[in-house]
Amino acid sequence: MLSKSQARAFFLGGTFLFSAIFVFLTVDTLRQNDSRTNSQNMTADVLKGKEIWEKNNCMGCHTLLGEGAYYAPDLTKVVERRGATWIDVFLDDPEAMFPGERKMIKYGFNKEEKGQIIAFLDWVGKIDANGWPPKPNIPIDSIATPQVPQAKSNAVVMTQPEKFSQLCVACHAVGGKGGNVGPALDHVGSKFDSDYLNRWLSDPQAIKPGTNMPKLPLTDPERKDIVTYLSALK
Amino acid sequence: MRFQSQKVAYWFFATCMLLLSLQIVYGFIMGFARIGFDGLHDFIPFNTARATHTNLLVVWLLTGFMGAAYYIIPEESDRELYSVKLAYIQLLSWVVVGVIAIIGFHFNWWEGRKFLEIPRPLDYLVVVNVLTFLFNIAMTIWEAKKRSTTQLVLFFGLLCAALLYLPGMIYFDNQTLDSYFRWWVVHLWVEGVWELIMGGILAFLLIKLTGVDREVIEKWLYVVVGLTFLSGILGTGHHYYWIGTPKYWLMVGGIFSALEPLAFLGMAIWALNMYRKKGKNHPNKIALYWTLGSAMMSFIGAGFLGFAHTWPAVNQWTHGTLITAMHGHLAFWGAYAMLVLAVISYAMPNLTGRKLFTGMSGYLAFWASNIGMLGMTGALAVAGITQVYLERKLGMDFLVVQKEIIFHFIGMLLAATLFTVGITYFIVDFIRHGLPSNEAVGKNAGDLE
Repeated sequence: MLSKSQARAFFLGGTFLFSAIFVFLTVDTLRQNDSRTNSQNMTADVLKGKEIWEKNNCMGCHTLLGEGAYYAPDLTKVVERRGATWIDVFLDDPEAMFPGERKMIKYGFNKEEKGQIIAFLDWVGKIDANGWPPKPNIPIDSIATPQVPQAKSNAVVMTQPEKFSQLCVACHAVGGKGGNVGPALDHVGSKFDSDYLNRWLSDPQAIKPGTNMPKLPLTDPERKDIVTYLSALK
Repeated sequence: MRFQSQKVAYWFFATCMLLLSLQIVYGFIMGFARIGFDGLHDFIPFNTARATHTNLLVVWLLTGFMGAAYYIIPEESDRELYSVKLAYIQLLSWVVVGVIAIIGFHFNWWEGRKFLEIPRPLDYLVVVNVLTFLFNIAMTIWEAKKRSTTQLVLFFGLLCAALLYLPGMIYFDNQTLDSYFRWWVVHLWVEGVWELIMGGILAFLLIKLTGVDREVIEKWLYVVVGLTFLSGILGTGHHYYWIGTPKYWLMVGGIFSALEPLAFLGMAIWALNMYRKKGKNHPNKIALYWTLGSAMMSFIGAGFLGFAHTWPAVNQWTHGTLITAMHGHLAFWGAYAMLVLAVISYAMPNLTGRKLFTGMSGYLAFWASNIGMLGMTGALAVAGITQVYLERKLGMDFLVVQKEIIFHFIGMLLAATLFTVGITYFIVDFIRHGLPSNEAVGKNAGDLE
């Protein structure tokens, strides 16, 4: 049977050997780090963004590269998923975008700070994370019964204005694609005329006080494009 | 207790009880927020509750380790503590730093790095504090006539824990490196040197409670901590799969994580075997329950449940989900929380001279808190598996999935209530023991050494 001095040798020897391997692998990891994380793209904005991220303990709710608190979504690929414009609007008033849902603090970041956060998240999204997060691999059709075919929408025919696909689809669906926070907009053009839609987009609260629809930062031409598009959804 | 100076340990244990209670309160705040009752959002938003909950855990466990060391080291060294005054100063400053940190969290003052949220200026104070503690312990050992393996392993563990706090204090611009070195602290603490401390404390308790020959227990102590380091050091790799580090970490982390349960299995087999070989019965059955319970629960929570999701092919789906929270709860409970409660259960009758271990409430505390914790882990497991399938495998939206698992969080809150009942029994017993008394010096209740 093992003697005490052999047991001690096992402990000391094992610890030393594996510590040495660990240090060696760490050196190699550091060597590869610049290329794997595109560190040349770490601009001043990215670094500022990281500071804001840490200063407000965003990881206390969100996860980033899968590390965090699981209370709010993982933000590794958020810029790719939502787009910078959406995040910019979202940060002004997080609760407006997800009414009645899990709350996020309204930090009141200014335009510059929001840009820095987005720059940081954009950089993180491009780190070579060995393919994480993986794409969903069970097709939803395989387990759900196929839905009754919807009444044909002309949404597919007409291309969505850029702002629409950046902002509106986060909450509203058209042709089965988009969010489900607000109502689907497939036939909105037959319900409301373009004048009403225009007024609605300019200031939702003025038309329906207490509505969950936020007032979106749209320029006049952008609003006009969206109204034209919505009016065509019949 | 054998020595007057061991009384210091009592005040560390009392601090433990206070911090543990507070940790439970913050746990409830988070649990309620998850089922939609987030009325405290404006005052204690989730990130504050979360940082407070996890940091309190770390602080109360470290306080417990320190208390355990102040209790064990004089007895193992067969002499009084080097300086009692220093120990009190150290406790006081430790509490002050902790309180400032926790209040700071409520005013958006933190470092924002998971588990290492304590702001930088306070980090320096922590370092000074821990050095003071180590100095006191080291001097006690240095001037002792007796050297024991238990004493040295415990000291080596505490020393490494202090040293490994340092990589967490370097600032990295690069998120990947930031994360890489943050795990040097978090993983190498929890799955490395803390296990060393655990082994040391466990060895002490087994020597006292089973009366098995010290040489036998200490030989196996070396084997167990050897296994820990053998698997745990490179096991750090399971945090390096998806954060932007090279691909070989998938293999290194996978293999060595798969070995990690061996260390815990070794710990459990060791403790149970020593119990089987016991010379005669120690009257403090409750301390024995917590001691053996800790060895077994750490195998289930840290060993087995860790093993269940650290294999890369599994982890790519479970990473960053409630599965981690599931494993975390039982791992910390089994390995470290139960161990600290074991030391307290063993030490309190000796410190105060009151043998409350014959009553019913000790068993109620043990069973209610353990069943409660298993329930919480089960609820989190079901929620986590559901989340993995709906969100990761099917691609459903995060918030939609969170609504699907509210039910399991109601279950978790119920289990947490049972857990709290158990802890309440424990704390009431603690209070009933009263303060350490001078009459108890020189006497230990039923030790078998």
